[in-house]
Amino acid sequence: MDRLGRILMVEDDRKDVELTLTALEEYNLANEVVVTGDGAEALDYLYCRGNFKARSGDNPAVLLLDLKLPKVDGLEVLQQIKSDEKLRMIPVVVLTSSREERDMVTSYKLGVNAYVVKPVDFHEFVNAIKELGVFWAIVNEPPPGSVRNR
Amino acid sequence: MAQRKPSMPKALPSILRYGLAAASVAIAVGTALLLARYQFRGVADPLFLFAIAIAVWYAGRGPAILAVVLSALADAYFFIEPLYSFSVTRSELPHFVIFIGFALLLTWFSAVRRRVEQELLQSRDELEREVAERTQQASLLNLTHDTIFVHNMSDIITYWNRGAEELYGWTAQEAIGKHSHQLLQTDFPIPIEEVRAELLRTGRWEGELRKTKADGSRLVVASRWSLRRDEQGRAVAILETNNDISDRKRREEEIRKLNIELTKRTTDLETTNKELEAFAYSTSHDLRAPLRHVVGFTELLQKNASSRLDEKGQRYITTILESAKKMGTLIDDLLAFSRIGRMEARETMVSLGDLVKEVLGEVQQETDGRNIAWRIGTLPDLCGDRSMLRLVLVNLISNAVKFTRTREQAEIEIGCMEKKEDGLVVFVKDNGVGFDMKYVNKLFGVFQRLHQSEAFEGTGIGLATVQRIIHRHGGRVWAEGLVDSGATFFFSVPSHRR
Repeated sequence: MDRLGRILMVEDDRKDVELTLTALEEYNLANEVVVTGDGAEALDYLYCRGNFKARSGDNPAVLLLDLKLPKVDGLEVLQQIKSDEKLRMIPVVVLTSSREERDMVTSYKLGVNAYVVKPVDFHEFVNAIKELGVFWAIVNEPPPGSVRNR
Repeated sequence: MAQRKPSMPKALPSILRYGLAAASVAIAVGTALLLARYQFRGVADPLFLFAIAIAVWYAGRGPAILAVVLSALADAYFFIEPLYSFSVTRSELPHFVIFIGFALLLTWFSAVRRRVEQELLQSRDELEREVAERTQQASLLNLTHDTIFVHNMSDIITYWNRGAEELYGWTAQEAIGKHSHQLLQTDFPIPIEEVRAELLRTGRWEGELRKTKADGSRLVVASRWSLRRDEQGRAVAILETNNDISDRKRREEEIRKLNIELTKRTTDLETTNKELEAFAYSTSHDLRAPLRHVVGFTELLQKNASSRLDEKGQRYITTILESAKKMGTLIDDLLAFSRIGRMEARETMVSLGDLVKEVLGEVQQETDGRNIAWRIGTLPDLCGDRSMLRLVLVNLISNAVKFTRTREQAEIEIGCMEKKEDGLVVFVKDNGVGFDMKYVNKLFGVFQRLHQSEAFEGTGIGLATVQRIIHRHGGRVWAEGLVDSGATFFFSVPSHRR
């Protein structure tokens, strides 16, 4: 737990947020999760503007990104991040309900680090979240400039 | 060259022509001597000139010269003093010289006249031939079905063939002398000045013209114009050939309309397809999310509150979970099914043998602890979409595994055979619970199931998917079965895919 990085979760569905947080909590991974409800807010967070003007400028250790989002959708957020010199190092995991091939293809073309289809089965879901959290927030050595609590 | 009338000079051989000259002179000599005996004097010269004239007229210039020479010699010998000698006295010399000079002059004049006459005859013959030829050509133009007419540079019709009579309905007598474009009410697609300019520049013009028949009906013709010039290069006439293309135009118009209709339908279809795709896309997103929440929170409830629930409550929770998970499978299967219709097939050569091995590895989990005798025959390679064909085998093989579950010893055979009407046929045969052939036509429909869910789980989409894929590959699927005696599923491989 002491090596846990900050996770930015972009998810508009409150129930999904709750389930994901529950899954992360189950493995004590939930202490530094920032949740934004749409793509615009996520970009505000990353660029430290709007509601997030006051936050310290560190990048999150990993970004969990839903695709279907209000205002700015997930693929647009992904494109923005991967085309920005300062943000492109942040590992981005697309976490979506959609099994559609073209979403997957577009995401990989834009440079996503992982693409996970949320399983209907809760156990599988918890496992997936756990593995993601453990890998990206603990095991993976984050790029310089992102925060890691000690 | 077929000569007419006085043609002897050319027709007679030389010997006869010279003989004729000699003979006429001989006759002249004989006649003159005979007449001399009866005291007629001075007839020799005219007779010789007569003989020479005959020679030059009928035998040509050479024999005429011979006649002149023979006449001169005969004159000198028989009629000029001294008689019976070729010598000529001085006093007779002028007479003799004049005679020869006159004879030569006669020969020359006659020869010239003869040549001129020959030439005249020749050109008359040529003229006659040309007239005959032209007449024949004109009647040939009448034979053709094409419409041909000629108008002069003021567009007055000067020739009108039978094709023109038939197409437009005016006889040649009616048409000739009329103004072509007024008679036919010609509509030009471009100003007539441009047509004329091109005609004068290149000698020809062609295009589509609208004209009117005698009965007033309109028609479209493919019109070709050729310019005729006289020897001085002046434009004198226009030969116009017309072909009625009204039918072709009508058909072209119909085809054009059909094409527009087709394009519209294609667009409609594309729109429908896009809508369908959008529908499937949002289904994939929006149906799965609430389902995941139902399952997620129910599991959390089961985990956190199960101690507070009685047995009935626990059973309810289990039922909710089972139903929700089944719905998840259903949605996934439906999406897979709809994707087959939308997906573009990526065709490669696929080894069915390898594919079966792969699928068997996949179903291993389900067959753990079961006693199954597999019989795998030699399977063909075929051209098709690998992932789709894989789905076919997955469905057929897992069906066989599923419906032999009640057998102590399951037997599943996968093989291929040659059938007369279907060509190459691949089959999957099992000794499972089978089915009643009465319901065989329901087997491949979406959501059609022949077994109760309690006995054999399933969504009723698998065989529909199989059928869709095989149809997309141009093949056919069918099944044979008997209740409690197993089932066999067949699909055919069209010959162009082998």
